[in-house]
Amino acid sequence: MEKYLLKLTVNGQEYEVYINPKTLLVEVIRDYLGFTGTKRGCETVSCGACTVTVNGKSVKSCSILAMQVDGMEIVTSEGLEKNGKLSPIQKAFLDHGAFQCGFCTSGMLMSATAFLDELNGRIPKKHEIKEAIEGNLCRCTGYNSIVRAIEAVAQGEYKEERQ
Amino acid sequence: MIHDFHYLKPDSLKTALAMYAEHEDCKVICGGQSLLIVMRQGMVAPEYLLDIKHIHELSYISFDNQKGLRIGATTTHREIEQSPLIQEKYPVLAAMENKLASIQTRNWGTIGGNLAHADPAGDPAPVLIALKASIKVGSIKGERVMPLDEFFVDYFETAMEHGELILEVQVPPPAPKTGVAYQKFNLLDSDMGIVAVAASVTLDRDGKCKDTRVVLGNAGPTPLRMKNIESLLIGKKLNEKLFEEAGKISSTESQPVADIHASEEHRRHLLGVLTRRMLKQACDIAQKG
Amino acid sequence: MSTNKYKVINTRVHNIDGIAKVTGRATYTFDVKLPGMLYGKILRSPHPHAKILKIDTSKALELPGVKAVVTGKDTLGIKQGIWRRYEELCDEQILPLEKVRYIGEPVAAVAAVTEEIAEKALDLIDVEYEVLPAVFEPLDAIKKDAPVIHEGVERNINVTRHIEWGDVDDAFAEAEKDGYIREDWFKCGGQHHACMETRAAVSSYTPDGKLTVWTSTQSPYYHQALLAGVLGLREGDVRVIAPYVGGGFGGKFELDAAQFCSAVLSMKLCKPVKIVFTREEDMIASKRRTPMYYYVRTAVKKDGTFLARESRMFSNGGAYTGMGATALYLSGFFHSFPYKWRGYRYDGYRVYTNTMPSTSMRGFGAPQAVFCSEQQIEWICKDLGLDPFEVRRKNAHTEGYEVPGQAFIQSCGMKECIDKIEQWVKSKGKLPANRAIGVSSCGFMSGGIFNWFDTPYSFSSAVVTINYDGTVELHVGCQDIGQGSNTTMAIICAETLGVRVEDVKVHSGDTDHCPADLGAWGSRQTLMAGNAVKMAAEDAKRQLLEFAYAEMGMNIVYDLDIKDRWVHIVARPERGMPYFDLVKKALRGKDGQRIIGRGYYTPHRKGMISPAYSYMMQAVDAEVDPETGKITIHEIMTAHDCGQPINPLGLVGQLEGAASMALGYGYLEDMPFEDGKLMNPNLVDYKIIRATEMPETGMIEIDTYEPEGPYGAKEAGEGLTNPTAAALGNALFHALGIQMKELPITPERVLKALREKDEAKKQKKNT
Repeated sequence: MEKYLLKLTVNGQEYEVYINPKTLLVEVIRDYLGFTGTKRGCETVSCGACTVTVNGKSVKSCSILAMQVDGMEIVTSEGLEKNGKLSPIQKAFLDHGAFQCGFCTSGMLMSATAFLDELNGRIPKKHEIKEAIEGNLCRCTGYNSIVRAIEAVAQGEYKEERQ
Repeated sequence: MIHDFHYLKPDSLKTALAMYAEHEDCKVICGGQSLLIVMRQGMVAPEYLLDIKHIHELSYISFDNQKGLRIGATTTHREIEQSPLIQEKYPVLAAMENKLASIQTRNWGTIGGNLAHADPAGDPAPVLIALKASIKVGSIKGERVMPLDEFFVDYFETAMEHGELILEVQVPPPAPKTGVAYQKFNLLDSDMGIVAVAASVTLDRDGKCKDTRVVLGNAGPTPLRMKNIESLLIGKKLNEKLFEEAGKISSTESQPVADIHASEEHRRHLLGVLTRRMLKQACDIAQKG
Repeated sequence: MSTNKYKVINTRVHNIDGIAKVTGRATYTFDVKLPGMLYGKILRSPHPHAKILKIDTSKALELPGVKAVVTGKDTLGIKQGIWRRYEELCDEQILPLEKVRYIGEPVAAVAAVTEEIAEKALDLIDVEYEVLPAVFEPLDAIKKDAPVIHEGVERNINVTRHIEWGDVDDAFAEAEKDGYIREDWFKCGGQHHACMETRAAVSSYTPDGKLTVWTSTQSPYYHQALLAGVLGLREGDVRVIAPYVGGGFGGKFELDAAQFCSAVLSMKLCKPVKIVFTREEDMIASKRRTPMYYYVRTAVKKDGTFLARESRMFSNGGAYTGMGATALYLSGFFHSFPYKWRGYRYDGYRVYTNTMPSTSMRGFGAPQAVFCSEQQIEWICKDLGLDPFEVRRKNAHTEGYEVPGQAFIQSCGMKECIDKIEQWVKSKGKLPANRAIGVSSCGFMSGGIFNWFDTPYSFSSAVVTINYDGTVELHVGCQDIGQGSNTTMAIICAETLGVRVEDVKVHSGDTDHCPADLGAWGSRQTLMAGNAVKMAAEDAKRQLLEFAYAEMGMNIVYDLDIKDRWVHIVARPERGMPYFDLVKKALRGKDGQRIIGRGYYTPHRKGMISPAYSYMMQAVDAEVDPETGKITIHEIMTAHDCGQPINPLGLVGQLEGAASMALGYGYLEDMPFEDGKLMNPNLVDYKIIRATEMPETGMIEIDTYEPEGPYGAKEAGEGLTNPTAAALGNALFHALGIQMKELPITPERVLKALREKDEAKKQKKNT
């Protein structure tokens, strides 16, 4: 099978890969580029463990052909910190114990990040937060700690102090 | 495992239609939220895959008071859900999109892809049919428009011929004294409906039913427009008793298929309950409007 | 909230694995990649019961990229099981030689250079079967003429369990005279662990005869021992590494096909082989929660005093024993919990069927047992016009009670739990129609006293080593599977030694470097591993303080201690020295040798089940749509006695996580089989609760001190899964007057119960 050139930016870095066009975005992220934070937990686009952002929007990377993100910006959980400084949502997850086994955590963080960025400073209702992570399954936490963490960031408890 | 295919990425609608006509064993992918699952299972294995996801000329939401609403085929569910225009003029559409699936799926999946997939459990079709929508399809041979309730032919089968793509969905402008309501029955909020009902009611100046549509989702091989309910209700002053009778029609005339989630009797029962409830809700909205 | 007397225990600390998990750095078996690694896939039986006549692997071997294909013939053919002490319960050849006993059972495994090639190769393996008649339900399998699933096992009865105390027949006779007797049948469904990380293993056998296995496991030691046993290796030549583990919930401490097949393939090729189950494989071919049929007959006095209970349980064991034998026993015991019975009799029968084997899953038979017990108690209260709180309080366990022949109850906050929930329910006032609050009491063990694994090792061990700079290496064998045991052990170590959590580095998950430990199951680690860690840290501290006593030379009546890195006289805390200075002196004093403290724990003479028991009462506020049967859960409140909480952030996580899983068991998760085939092996059709359905959950902590546990602590991970299904059933009973005797409680079953109730009412009117 002929290979196609795919150019994409992942976590601020440009990459070029040659892929079989049937390659899924999650396979490029994990197997070609080595970012294993993003996980896979199902074959039916159900679990959300593979969630990343594409041009700021949360998507399930197992449900997208990699060729469709040519020229776009992907962010994974590895891309949330800046020079070792954790993002507000990561800090909130630590403070609220919003993870246990951690397998769903990367996907959760990306759904949360997309949601928080879209808010543009607006304070969301609780049900909106729940809807934001509705596509991400968690078997360990029961979700409420994750909702609390997102709520804390949305309410401004973690003002960004980036240089 | 997905089988190998040749990948076609047209940069315009014109090129897409030409490429599609050129290749016989060719499937179209847009958001791929439905297609990739069946391709992974090996159920669909085309030689060519035509990617129209980034044909931006098909991504739009526009409205004018004469023609009504026009949604381009590659518009995402999330764009429809978040459109202030749609939230204002067709709130039932925005509400339906909000519960369609997870946000991730709505961010990438498109209205065209959803309708082309023709899953009888799909959410948009019953609502759009209740809104009297039409669908425009086109190929290199030209374009044609048909009412949406004629677009679905069978399970996962549409009236499109090879080489035709969905171009846009057309919804007439909202009529006065009209209410539209939609609900699906499921255990988890954004799951596909075990069954679903969309109902629209238009009242005349005397408060009698001028027009109505009841469309059942996941109750047969295609969305079912219940014409017997229309003839039951049109011209009458609507009340609980009529809603119940309408519910009975839905129960008996639908063709739901049992599976592990619900038996046939339970589906029929739910269709009756939802029909009654959605008609009442639509009627209440119409009365306020 | 009483003031916390501890410096580290019961304070909000960050999970010590948190940074790795929130930054995408944590690697799981799913992520492991080794140079030259091959990918394995497993061919599975399409038949529920069949003889394997012939397996032809030649065509598969010819496929370019395929390196090896193995079947049972390539193994030692050892029948293994986790109940190692009982040979008859070691009944499973993971690659069977003679016959298959459930749909999905492995029959062959392939290693190839890519996953895709391995999968293609499966289609090229030719298996000739002789299909045998199959049986799927325990009540059918137990019949005289049912197909024989394991040769020599009569009526497919795998294990039986009898628990009895008091004079049961006498008590029933009394109740027949002037008491009240009620009997009911219940059916509890299965459930899948559905860990986010499916079963996975990477095996690497090297020419020096050593095997290393990375695997998603709840017990590296168990897997080391089990693999050595089936592969004919010395335990010491098998190294099991648990990278981060993506959930376990009871499904990952038995030997599974990912581990076994990857090891067999790797031993054949001397190359690393990775096998990761797809979600579908994970759902059809691992092991599930045990479905149970319960017959419950209970006798009480008219004032609600419990007299006796006589129950019989038939469980669907599936094709192999697994951990099902333990579930059989624990279910019967916790079916009596948390009440005092004058007489109690339980007979449990675990029956083989041609379905996926059943095993342990969080709660271990107790959620099923409690679903039956707590609902029947509620119905008895209604029948007799008694207050359900009062009746429970009257009969509840108390401190110092001995469950005859079974258990010694030390700390027990049951009464306080009931009081708090009663208050909470009353505070809610009258609820709207079709909505009510249901309650359920229960408790759970803090690890089991049993050694059916036949380990010669202490159940838990720990080693504390103090470095020159005062940082501490803590080596434990307990396994963090997300519940936070690494953090809990760090907290206990830090508290005991007198340092901070950030001074302690926890080493776990590697049998080459860590002591043996039975692992994360039966909610044992906080108590058992915690005791081992406390002992090790005390040992290290005592050695360290010898140098401080020498240094400070104070009066013999004074004691020294260390708190928050400050070594000090207990009576005069302002006098002392920094811990870091003491460490340096100690090292010099020991000729440059680091102080090493050792600790271990094995329960001795702690009854038949566990050294200590948690107690709780849970209230579920639920609403039903009586026309559609759809259930909405509004809120869950739990009054909980886990002794001394160690890791409060972790405790809330256990409460909320357990509630989500238990709710699933109550009304969402179902495993329907048709002729032995699982009908919903994916996460679309298998419904796991999502954020939008998860209700608010609250916890009222009940303060007790458990003498058996470290700092008074006992379990919190599993017990919280026990009450919810029963509480939900009781909520429906109060909201709609329906008795739900089958799990899961589906909308269709609710409507059916409503119809039956209306029918019964009409019939009563007509007579």
